Amino acid sequence: MRIAAFLPEILRHLFKKPATVDYPFVKLEVPKDFRGTPFLHPELCIVCRACVRDCPAEAIDILTVSEADKKFKMIIHNDRCIHCAQCVESCPTTPKALEMDHLFEISAFSRWDLKKEWEYVKAQVKPKAAAGTPSAEAKS
Amino acid sequence: MKFTVPIGPQHPALKEPISLRMTLEGEVIRDADIRLGYNHRGLEKLAEEKTWLQNIYLTERICGICSHSHATCYTQGVEKLMEIEPPKRGIYLRFLVAELERVHSHLLWLGVAGHEAGFDTFFMYTWRDREVVMDILEMVSGNRVHYAINTLGGVRRDIDDLQKKKILDSLAILRQRTEYYLKIGANEPSFVARIAGVGHLSKEDALALCAVGPMARASDIAQDVRKDDPYGMYGEVPFEVATATTGDVLGRVVVRVKELMQSYNIIEFLLKNLPDGPVAVRAPRRAKPNEVVSRYEAPRGENIHYIRSNGTDKPERLKVRAPTLANYPATVVMLKNGFIADIPLIFAAIDPCICCAERTVTLVDGRSGQENIVLMSELRRRAQERWKKAPPKKDAVWPF
Amino acid sequence: MAILKTLLYILAYPGFLFIFVYSTFCEWFDRKVYAHLQNRMGPTHTGRWGILQPVADFVKLLAKEDIVPERADKTLFTLLPVFGIAAVSTAMLLLPVWHYDLAQPSPNSFSGDIIVLLYILTLPTLVFFLAAWSSTSFFSTIGGARVLTMLFGYEVPLFLAVLSPAIMAGSWRLAEIAAFFAHKPLLILPNIIGFIVSVICLQAKLERTPFDIPHAETEIVGGTFTEYSGKKLALFRLMTDVEMVVGSGLIAAAFLGGFPGGVLLGFIHFVIKTLFIIFLLSLIRALTSRIRIDQVISFSWKYLAPLAVLQLLITIVLKGFSR
Repeated sequence: MRIAAFLPEILRHLFKKPATVDYPFVKLEVPKDFRGTPFLHPELCIVCRACVRDCPAEAIDILTVSEADKKFKMIIHNDRCIHCAQCVESCPTTPKALEMDHLFEISAFSRWDLKKEWEYVKAQVKPKAAAGTPSAEAKS
Repeated sequence: MKFTVPIGPQHPALKEPISLRMTLEGEVIRDADIRLGYNHRGLEKLAEEKTWLQNIYLTERICGICSHSHATCYTQGVEKLMEIEPPKRGIYLRFLVAELERVHSHLLWLGVAGHEAGFDTFFMYTWRDREVVMDILEMVSGNRVHYAINTLGGVRRDIDDLQKKKILDSLAILRQRTEYYLKIGANEPSFVARIAGVGHLSKEDALALCAVGPMARASDIAQDVRKDDPYGMYGEVPFEVATATTGDVLGRVVVRVKELMQSYNIIEFLLKNLPDGPVAVRAPRRAKPNEVVSRYEAPRGENIHYIRSNGTDKPERLKVRAPTLANYPATVVMLKNGFIADIPLIFAAIDPCICCAERTVTLVDGRSGQENIVLMSELRRRAQERWKKAPPKKDAVWPF
Repeated sequence: MAILKTLLYILAYPGFLFIFVYSTFCEWFDRKVYAHLQNRMGPTHTGRWGILQPVADFVKLLAKEDIVPERADKTLFTLLPVFGIAAVSTAMLLLPVWHYDLAQPSPNSFSGDIIVLLYILTLPTLVFFLAAWSSTSFFSTIGGARVLTMLFGYEVPLFLAVLSPAIMAGSWRLAEIAAFFAHKPLLILPNIIGFIVSVICLQAKLERTPFDIPHAETEIVGGTFTEYSGKKLALFRLMTDVEMVVGSGLIAAAFLGGFPGGVLLGFIHFVIKTLFIIFLLSLIRALTSRIRIDQVISFSWKYLAPLAVLQLLITIVLKGFSR
């Protein structure tokens, strides 16, 4: 049991730089795999609706705008999103149509400002060429 | 002269709402009554409406500090139901994050214990070191809490060599700081005077009241699910179960710091012996009808999940028994014959995670001993009836 | 003309304006040192280096709603903060910084004024107790009981420790004690035990860690101050700050040689010496954790009181030798 056991340590801290980051005047760096908000690359989506099925918070909706022209609309409800990135994982395309960005300062005055929409034409799946059949080519 | 004082539901000493009604005589506590239910969210019912994959994220959000424990306990159970075996690299990565979570939880607890005792400097220092662990977890999993690194059949992300090196460097810093805290924190006279001899729980009491986790280990019971019933790869990892003999808050501090040192050794072993290979296998959508019990050693004690499936893609029943719930009866015994000034410390020493412990409420009729589960609408109706009939009280001390 | 001058003295310097500005400056200094000892920043953005933070806190509290509990004694509840401020402001006037003539006594510097100052400094503690008692809330009653219990612990060592330099200087007048030590600065060394004991007892009087049991936040939700809000709470906080300045001024005058050198130089001495003692108080605050009420009593009667008596014996022996 020593009297004032902490004393040398705290006196040393008097001369050290504080450990606090002076946010918001100094911004923090996020690592490269940080899970921010999801967004869509519309030209890659094949409307398989795996993301809609797997989202735990029901934050993705895909609506059919026109069946004949194959136009669809995806709405991502960022006010419901829990940033788990399961939608990115469930997406079967290569490269993935859904991606997480690095935003973490997402706030708005109304929840309706947080919903993002994309209207696009469904992309064609290129079937994998079977071995030795040159006629199985993709329709672009 | 005895009088009853309520601590909670709102109180600066408690991080979450819980009601402790103490019967006091002067400054000494004679009896304690714990009332739960302020944090009930209906998670077990919600789990029946979501698929196996979506439930991982739901169980993760049972608690913020021990989020990975609940997610892993659930995932282990479901993998057993689906009869799939995750690859070795997946298991190693899963429990790497588990041990990192144990480190972060124990550092958090050390700070909270310091703050409850009034030792704010210790609180600031341990939470500054906890930032090192949070940064590693953000680098590995993408988020500081709610890591979401589990998936059915393994883990979702891999780590590369640069990340491995960063983790090992941070471990060296953390090891040095933890040894310093053990040396100094256990010797600072005012701090030790506050926590020594406080909240004593004897070995017989701990066994009889089913205490789990560091509470039991501080009363000299060497009980740890990782050693008694090894899951994952704990059968191959060399580590020791940390115990202390004093059975008071000082013993619990010592047990948690020793567990920190053991966790650093486990993390180093996992990183150095990480096998190659895939990190996950594909999981089916449905599980065959069966039931499974999954146990896991969370930072607070033993976590039990019971899952039953009926052949569809949603579970039929999920039951969660969190470790804090098992420690509540022992808390009542510890609070008796203590001082008021020690209430926050004793309660903080069980490392309460009250949101983990709030599940369905069972009403026991005092006279007949009959149990029945009451719906919320029924409780509401009864409360309104009583309120209408009761006369207004001017000097009510406690409204029930 | 004399009336105008008196009014200026009461309102500006060394009156209310100066007390307000200097005590908020001392609170800022204490918070900044405490934060840097804990490796964090402390107040930073209100004013340059956060120097306006205590003033901002005071103004914010003035604007909040003022709730008086139903069962509380309304007259006592409302008057106590004002009474407390009056007591510590009067105590401030007795410090030997402003307008004293060593040759003849004046209303703010007379023989026996060290006893009067110590007596007036007891009044804030009684104000705390009465505030707790008149709040009639469970938590504040416990806080009030703890305030009085602590009074039994630290009051005797504080008195003994502060009176031993008076014995050495052979006078009961603060100005003369200060002048004595200013002439022979080496005589602080035999008084070092008394200095340490009085700094620790001052920490207990101000109810700061390790002695902040009466308003321990995590145990009794604010103790004495649980039911206070708005303007009354602002005045209580200001009272604690002014008590800190007065206490450190007392110890500086008794042990560290006072504030010699006329108006300007004396004022600079005052600032430097009180800031030094406040630095020591912040150091103790960052170093320890809170101890229980029974431990406070046993600590003060086992260690502080015997050390103060020892200091008294040393002083008496030295005085005997010097004759």
